[in-house]
Amino acid sequence: MNRMTTIPGIRSGFHPIHIVFIIILLSGLVAFPFVSGNRFYISLITEMMIYGLLAMSLDVLLGYTGLLSFMHNAYLGISAYVVGLFLIHVSPASFWLACLAGIAFTCVVALPVGWVQVRTGGLAFALLTLAFGMMFHTIVWKWYDVTGGDDGLMGMPNPDINLFGITIGNSGDPLVIYMFTLVIVTLCFFITRRIINSPFGAVLEAIRENESRAAFIGINVRKYKLLGWMLACLLAGIAGALFILYKGYIGPSTMSAFAGAGVLMMVLLGGMGSLWGPLAGAVFFIYIQDYISTMTEHWEIYLGLVVIFLVLFLPTGFAGLTDHIRRLRKE
Amino acid sequence: MRGLLCTQNLCCQFGGVMATNDVCFSVDHNGLTSIIGPNGAGKTTFINIVTGKIGASSGKVLFKEKDITNTPTHELVKQGICRTFQINSLFENLSVFENLRIARQAKVGGSFRIFSLKQKLKPVIKDTWAMLERLGLEKMADLPAKNLAYGDQRVLEVAIAMAGDPKILFLDEPTAGMSPSETHQIAELIRDLANDISVVLVEHDMDMVMRISDRITVLQDGCIISEGTPQEIRNDQEVKEAYLGKAA
Amino acid sequence: MSGTLGIIVDITLNSLVLGGVFLIVAIGLNIIYGLSRIMNMAHGALYAVGAYIGFSLVASGLNFFAALLIAPLIVGVIGLIIERTIIAPMRKRSMAYTLILTYGLMFFLDGSIKYIWGNKPRFIELPEFMQGTLPILGTDYPVFRLVTLLLIILIMGALMLFLNKTKIGIILRASSTIPEMVSCLGVNMSYVHMGAFVLGCVMAGLAGIIAGPLTTIDPLMGGEMLISSFVVIVIGGLGSLRGAVIAALLVGGVQTLAEFFITDLAMVIVYILMAVILAFMPRGLLGEGKFE
Repeated sequence: MNRMTTIPGIRSGFHPIHIVFIIILLSGLVAFPFVSGNRFYISLITEMMIYGLLAMSLDVLLGYTGLLSFMHNAYLGISAYVVGLFLIHVSPASFWLACLAGIAFTCVVALPVGWVQVRTGGLAFALLTLAFGMMFHTIVWKWYDVTGGDDGLMGMPNPDINLFGITIGNSGDPLVIYMFTLVIVTLCFFITRRIINSPFGAVLEAIRENESRAAFIGINVRKYKLLGWMLACLLAGIAGALFILYKGYIGPSTMSAFAGAGVLMMVLLGGMGSLWGPLAGAVFFIYIQDYISTMTEHWEIYLGLVVIFLVLFLPTGFAGLTDHIRRLRKE
Repeated sequence: MRGLLCTQNLCCQFGGVMATNDVCFSVDHNGLTSIIGPNGAGKTTFINIVTGKIGASSGKVLFKEKDITNTPTHELVKQGICRTFQINSLFENLSVFENLRIARQAKVGGSFRIFSLKQKLKPVIKDTWAMLERLGLEKMADLPAKNLAYGDQRVLEVAIAMAGDPKILFLDEPTAGMSPSETHQIAELIRDLANDISVVLVEHDMDMVMRISDRITVLQDGCIISEGTPQEIRNDQEVKEAYLGKAA
Repeated sequence: MSGTLGIIVDITLNSLVLGGVFLIVAIGLNIIYGLSRIMNMAHGALYAVGAYIGFSLVASGLNFFAALLIAPLIVGVIGLIIERTIIAPMRKRSMAYTLILTYGLMFFLDGSIKYIWGNKPRFIELPEFMQGTLPILGTDYPVFRLVTLLLIILIMGALMLFLNKTKIGIILRASSTIPEMVSCLGVNMSYVHMGAFVLGCVMAGLAGIIAGPLTTIDPLMGGEMLISSFVVIVIGGLGSLRGAVIAALLVGGVQTLAEFFITDLAMVIVYILMAVILAFMPRGLLGEGKFE
């Protein structure tokens, strides 16, 4: 019987309309620099994509595993600093090696931190993400000799990006970084989506829904929470490598609690547990931030107000809003 | 007499209170054992200790003659010790199908496959459908668990535990809050299960307990005060006193 | 210059003062959490608001001790408004939402502080008798720190009396263990939650004005204190009042020692201490939820 192997309520692939939408969006993004050529927008979109990836990685944690991380940006920062330090001190031309070092180091740091965090309860987990995040922030801020302290890490060389012996371009070129980011973020989106729909992703969702029952169907809750955490930190590490290649610079403010709240807000804006929602949230947030920060220095007050408003009135974000519209149409 | 699972002098202390006091309890490879007792007798606490939800203060739990005291819950489930809860504990926003599917997956394996799709785990899907049909839940497969009627949620609660292929299944008041006809349906299901595996039932519905149990254990203030067949328990003076007070 | 004994006395007293400030903030946080299961991320910001209001009151010519009474009350009123407008409607939602909500509130308050008082550091002018030093066992110890220590002991004593001897205190303690029963006895839980939140805010404000003279008052103080008090309550066990006492003194001591030896990265030592304790005791020193 065919029905024996189907899952009700779960679409195995993309809806045709979504495929059309994704193709249009991607081709639009590929074509954009050639049509517009506006340097400012090219770099703004690059930043949106990088933060989109970071927000998506936080969604893996918050929306799918049910764990709250206040300072996910810390792991973007760690990776970015290590990539920068590697290029400055170890090997100025090894592009891939530097990225690998940054991402690997992020995972090495995230493992013991995550191990301690998952042993405590859900609330303590959230508080600890803030404490450890602040610790990393303090380290990069105060360790002047290595990180450049307040001034940030400067003077990073721009290596060429090689793939199978062919030079694609120089990482100092905004257009090259734009395309590179587009490819990597797109890949990460589809891979993460695949993981979320895998048996492994189903385990994470069960933990989010009911942690204690998950243990009583034989799931090692701590182990899978740690794996979810590591997946989220791995993605944040990738975002960090992209971030420093794009900016050519990183300072401690990228790792601050304030920036962390921004990432959290992207996920909230977009809607938890949808992957594309946080991507959209990041696009919206970066745009608004860019817009408002030129008008007022009291951006913090507005950030706070918007977060409060979102939690009170729109807890499901954009993704929830589209669900809502779809339901209205059905009725 | 050592059967499938037994406890030796099991104790659990909360502050100064002995919630479980020197309990020696054993069950066989199949059959239905009921645990009864007045409110606060320590029935749920006992289940919590055996299934690893809380730690024992002293004493041992043996399963297949192996010491499993204070083993983490998920490992006990893998060995075949499953339970249900007095208050529904479901994956509320997941569909009924997914509730059972994930429980089945946790038993059968495949949770580490991060790049394959969950709908490709064919044996898991097949077993899940079979279970849904056996329990008459297949029409609701698509609904989120939280949208089910209470009685169906109770059935799902038991079904999730069954999906783990238990060797011993602890049921904590499975009929709490159900109508008489629903209770009847669950009672039949439990009786049916008890032919193959060991079922331990905590229940307040005395009619049902007396009707379907093979053996009954009576707890009061954390101690076992009586054990025996339903007939023996019915005639036990101490049990009557425990329920009705000394005057009776 | 003071000798070794002087240094030891210095460090000991400084540890007690720092630990005492941590304690008052952390206890406020724990009271709110223990009674209404809300972790107030804006607690540090309220502590900073207390310090700034204290500064403004003293700067406007008010006596320091009068400000010590008034500033916490103002913070309490702010807490009351916050509780009634945004926290009370959120009680039924999951904890993640209140965490994020109060996190937003923290940024709003921090931003407002910068808006009202600006970015530059401020100092609370102390009464003359508190400005000198007092010779104790080979060191000249600042009088105001001794007064601070005395105040902390008084506040903790008063809180203990309040929770153990007064009717309201007993209702609060009962509510932390069996809220259903307390509400059956005719107590409106909504008022208990409100009372707990306001009490917590008053404690934060009190800690703010007490700590004002110890450190410079700047917009970063709230965030730093929030993290320190999290470290304290996580080490002590979430919601555990006794655990908070032990953990506050421990963290105060370790941080003072670390600052004495390595200055800049002192906090990192505290985090490592926390990680080690949690690795062995995931629920904190005294376990979660012991409200006594």
